[in-house]
Amino acid sequence: MMASEPGSLGVQRERRVEAPGASTGTRGGAPLGRRGDAWILNGAVWRQAWGDQRLLWLALAALWGAFPWIYIWLQSQVPMGDFQMLLRLIPEDWQKLSGVKLTEVATHAGRVALAFVDPVVVLGATVWGVTRGSDTVAGPLERGTMEMVLAAPVRRWAVYASHAAATVTGAAALCGVLLAGIWTAVAFGPWSAELGPARFVPAVGNVFGLMVCMAGLAALCSAAGSHRSRAIGILCGFYVVSLLAKLVGRLSERLEWVGWLSVFNAYEPQRLVSGQPDAWWLLLGYDAVLLGIGLAAFVAGGIVFARRDLPAPL
Amino acid sequence: MLVVTDRLTKRYGGFTALDGCSLGVAGGEVFGLLGPNGAGKTTLVRLIMGYLRPTSGTARVAGFDSVADSLALRGEVAYLPGEARLFRRMTGHETLDFFARLRATCRRSDAVAVAGRLGLDLGRQVARMSTGMRQKLALSAVLATEAAVVILDEPTANLDPTARAEVLDLVREANAVGRTVIFSSHVLSEVEAICGRVAIMRAGRLVHEQSIRDVRRGHVIRARLAGRFEGVPDALAGHVRVVADSAAAGEERLVLEAADSLAPLLGWLATLPLAEVEVEPIGLAAVYDRFHRGAVE
Repeated sequence: MMASEPGSLGVQRERRVEAPGASTGTRGGAPLGRRGDAWILNGAVWRQAWGDQRLLWLALAALWGAFPWIYIWLQSQVPMGDFQMLLRLIPEDWQKLSGVKLTEVATHAGRVALAFVDPVVVLGATVWGVTRGSDTVAGPLERGTMEMVLAAPVRRWAVYASHAAATVTGAAALCGVLLAGIWTAVAFGPWSAELGPARFVPAVGNVFGLMVCMAGLAALCSAAGSHRSRAIGILCGFYVVSLLAKLVGRLSERLEWVGWLSVFNAYEPQRLVSGQPDAWWLLLGYDAVLLGIGLAAFVAGGIVFARRDLPAPL
Repeated sequence: MLVVTDRLTKRYGGFTALDGCSLGVAGGEVFGLLGPNGAGKTTLVRLIMGYLRPTSGTARVAGFDSVADSLALRGEVAYLPGEARLFRRMTGHETLDFFARLRATCRRSDAVAVAGRLGLDLGRQVARMSTGMRQKLALSAVLATEAAVVILDEPTANLDPTARAEVLDLVREANAVGRTVIFSSHVLSEVEAICGRVAIMRAGRLVHEQSIRDVRRGHVIRARLAGRFEGVPDALAGHVRVVADSAAAGEERLVLEAADSLAPLLGWLATLPLAEVEVEPIGLAAVYDRFHRGAVE
């Protein structure tokens, strides 16, 4: 039957009301819910996710854009000879923690490479991955916005994938900023005569791998739970355990196998600054592990989210 | 029937949130869902929306199954959750833009018009809105859709009396153009005012269904008799039932409920030794109270 809507909203328009029980696959010739039936991404959710992560992204971009300049300038204040002397003071057992020979660290490239294992970069990458990944499902569920979004004809997969894609592209853009910072700081900074900036590209790729890995694992925890803080807590625990496993594996020959349990075993940017082709092969191996874990966790999270019950927000 | 649930059940471990709920809502109907907190109303709605997977049974809207065809089903339904939460960083305008982008059948201009009727300032950020304002904003987004079925879970909670009246008008208008409305509320007067039929839930079960017309047709008769009450004659057994009967100090107090017209009862009532008699429409509150004593509005 056709019914006319009163002009309460300022318009008179006709609207089709289906007979009870009839299948209503289309309306006015347009596919039902055509804005929401995408399998992969939903534009509105994508924009909303970017809106949510905008401030964190800007803060990290400012930090990572400025950090290489400050770091290289500070490093340049210590002459190479003095730096080598400092390294010699480190006990031999502790030298294993660096992951590379100290002779390699005591070079201009080696000293710049230490920036990638500095807490500003490692924690920044982890903070992005964990906070954004944990906000994929548990955050909107907890805030109650998920049920408003899913009241519309939008696939759960599309909501999940849009959030995940916003997180991953945000990570990629942040790595772009970090690369730009490193590139300009090396090319125009105090060591411009000693170094070429291109050798640091693989190390930035390794940072991206770490971000995706952390984000994927956080998204999986988020998809399985209803509390974002729990997902963040689990990932913080994972981070600490991984870090300790790596340290134990490095320091003890008997427990070297423990190191292989750590995800940080595949985060060795200081090994990727040789400027030789082997650095790219090494990166491929590291990122195969990190991106593999991250993407597998993202997919697993999507499957969990698509099948689970969505509780009412507290 | 446009909305059909068949022995719909949801269990969480040993706890049964919804137990074998079979319900049918016809197209163009305004259907009231009543029950105290924890009765299973929200579980029922969340199962229909596909947020929860049933332990057993099915839910269908316009022929679409809540699990297998959830996307198509949600294309037919506009849903306002009990406590609608919106994106705090967005303004009212941005919120309506967002929901208009999500749903092909939601017109932003209509949503703005509804917001105008509810007296909402759309320029304000959601985080700076009161609970009532957020409710109005969510209502604007939901009522502006052209979905065949509108499910409103306590839509007037947190609203001032003027906005409440406006919301009820909007529901009537939606129904006037043929939309089916499922209206869940604790405010019995509102349900009685706009619904054509109600279902009462208790402890996860659907315990009663009745049309509001029948509710209005029924009467409660409270009488004090100077003599003895001999019971309801067999001929009237289908018209009236004794709800309470107490005798003390040589007089008897009776409470009778007439399900239908009073006409067949009047002659019989006149034969009783009446000292006092009071007749009033049953009303939804009395029906509700029958199942949830002490939990009325």
